[in-house]
Amino acid sequence: MDIFLSNQVLIFLFSESILYLLSFIAFLGAFSILRKWDFSAHTTAQYNLEKKAFLIVTIIFFTLILKIILLPYFAYTIDKLALLIPGAMCGAGVISANIYGNPLLALKIIILFCVGIWLIINHLDQKAINYPYFKIKFWFYLFIFTLLSIEYGLDIAYFSNISTKDVVQCCSVIFGISGSNTIAFNLTVTMLLVIFYVLYSLTILLSIQKNSLLLFVVSLLFFYIGYQSVVHFFGTYIYQLPTHKCPFCMLQKEYYYVGYFVWSSLFIGVFFGISNFLLKLLIHHEEPTLYRYTIIFNTIFVILCSSYVFVYYIKNGVWL
Amino acid sequence: MKKLLPVLTVILLICVVVILFVSLSKKQNMITIQKGNFQKQPLPIKTGHVNDTQCKMIITDTTHACEVIAPNGNTWFFDDPGCMILWLKDKTFNDKAVMWVKTVDTKKWIAAKKAWYNQTDKTPMHYGFGAREIYKKGYINYEQMRLKMLRGENLTNPRIRKKLLGY
Repeated sequence: MDIFLSNQVLIFLFSESILYLLSFIAFLGAFSILRKWDFSAHTTAQYNLEKKAFLIVTIIFFTLILKIILLPYFAYTIDKLALLIPGAMCGAGVISANIYGNPLLALKIIILFCVGIWLIINHLDQKAINYPYFKIKFWFYLFIFTLLSIEYGLDIAYFSNISTKDVVQCCSVIFGISGSNTIAFNLTVTMLLVIFYVLYSLTILLSIQKNSLLLFVVSLLFFYIGYQSVVHFFGTYIYQLPTHKCPFCMLQKEYYYVGYFVWSSLFIGVFFGISNFLLKLLIHHEEPTLYRYTIIFNTIFVILCSSYVFVYYIKNGVWL
Repeated sequence: MKKLLPVLTVILLICVVVILFVSLSKKQNMITIQKGNFQKQPLPIKTGHVNDTQCKMIITDTTHACEVIAPNGNTWFFDDPGCMILWLKDKTFNDKAVMWVKTVDTKKWIAAKKAWYNQTDKTPMHYGFGAREIYKKGYINYEQMRLKMLRGENLTNPRIRKKLLGY
C-alpha cells in the first residue's frame, strides 16, 4: 500500500476514477438511448433523446480522448515507480511486480485500438446527414465500457498489490541475457530483421492495393515482430549496449524519451492497418485515407528504428 | 505496375510463411548456462529448453527447480535440490555462490539457505528433498539437507527410504 504515496500513482488513479465515473454516466445514457431510440419518430421524447444523445456522445468523446492520453502517462507512472521498488531498473520490473501488470498493459493497448475505432465511427457518423452508424457506435461503446470496467478493476488490483519490499526482476533478466534465445518463433536476429522488413514492405503493398483483410493479418504480425525487433535488435542500438534488451528503458530521460515515439508510431501504424477491416466488419464501410496513414506511420516507425542502427555505424564504423 | 503488385505481395507473403516455418522447425539449442546474471536474481526457466547441469535431464517441470549463480554472474539450473548439492560440492566458488530454490508450498524463488526441506517429496531425481518457505514439523534446514545429500542419506538409499516411507 506504500505505493499510494507516489504522486504519479495518485494522479493516475484519480484521473482513472473520474474517467470511469464519466464513462459510467455515459454507459447509463447510452443504454437508455438504445432502448428508446427511433430516428423516424417525430415525438418530443425522440427530440429529447437526440439532445441527450448529443451530450452522451460528447462525454464519450471527451472520456475516450483522455483515455488515449492516459496510456503514455501510465507508462510514465510505472517508469517512475522503478525508483521505489527494489530490483526494478525501469518499467519492466514494475509491470511484472505482480500477476495483474502484464494483463493490464495488454488490455490498455486493446482498449486503445477499440477507442480509435469508436472515434472513427463517430467521425463518420457525424459527417453523414442521417446518423447511419448511430446505434452501432453506442453498442460498440457498451463493449468498450465492459473493457473499461475490467481495466479499472485491474488498475486497482495492480497498484494495490505492488510491494515496495519484495525484490522484482530487472529487465535484463525478464527479456533475456547472453546465451538465451527468447525471440518469438525461434527466430535468429538476422531472420527477425528479414521478416521485419518483409512485413513492413507487405503493409505498404497491401495499403496501396487496399486489401483490408490481408492488411489486418499482416499488421497484427508486424505489431508482434516489430515489438520483438525493437527489444532484441533496435533497442540495443538505442542503448548502445548489445546486452541491454528492454522495451521500457527507452522511455527514460537518458534516451531522450525516444521510446514514446517508437512505440506510438508502431501502435498508430498498426491501428490504421487493422482499422479498415474492423470498420468493414462493423459498419460495412472503409476509409481510403486510413491506408495512407498506415504507410506514413509504419514508415516513421521503420525509419526511426533503422536510423539508430545506421547512425551508430556511421559514428563508430562497426555494428554492435 | 498494377499487375506486378499482387505478384510481389504473394512472393513476400510466401517469404514470411517460409521463414516462420523454417525457424519453428529448427531444433532449439538447449541452455545449460546463462551468463551475465550480475543482479544474481533467479532467472525464469523455459521448460523443455534448459538442461540440469548435474543429471543432464531436460527440465520439464520447475516444481523443485534450483539455480546456482557464481560470483561472475554465470547461472546453472537444476531440476532437484539434490542435484544442486552434488554439483556444488567440488566447486571453488562453493561458499560465494548464490543459490535459489523454488518452494513447493508458496511457489516462490527463495534463498536455498533460508528454505526448509521436506525429506519425502517426489522429486525428479528421487532424492526426496523438496523446498518449503514455511516451517512444519519434520522439515530440516539447508545445512542438514546438504549433509544428508552428501552422505547419501536420501530416498535413493533403500535403508533411508524404508525408514522414512516404510517400503
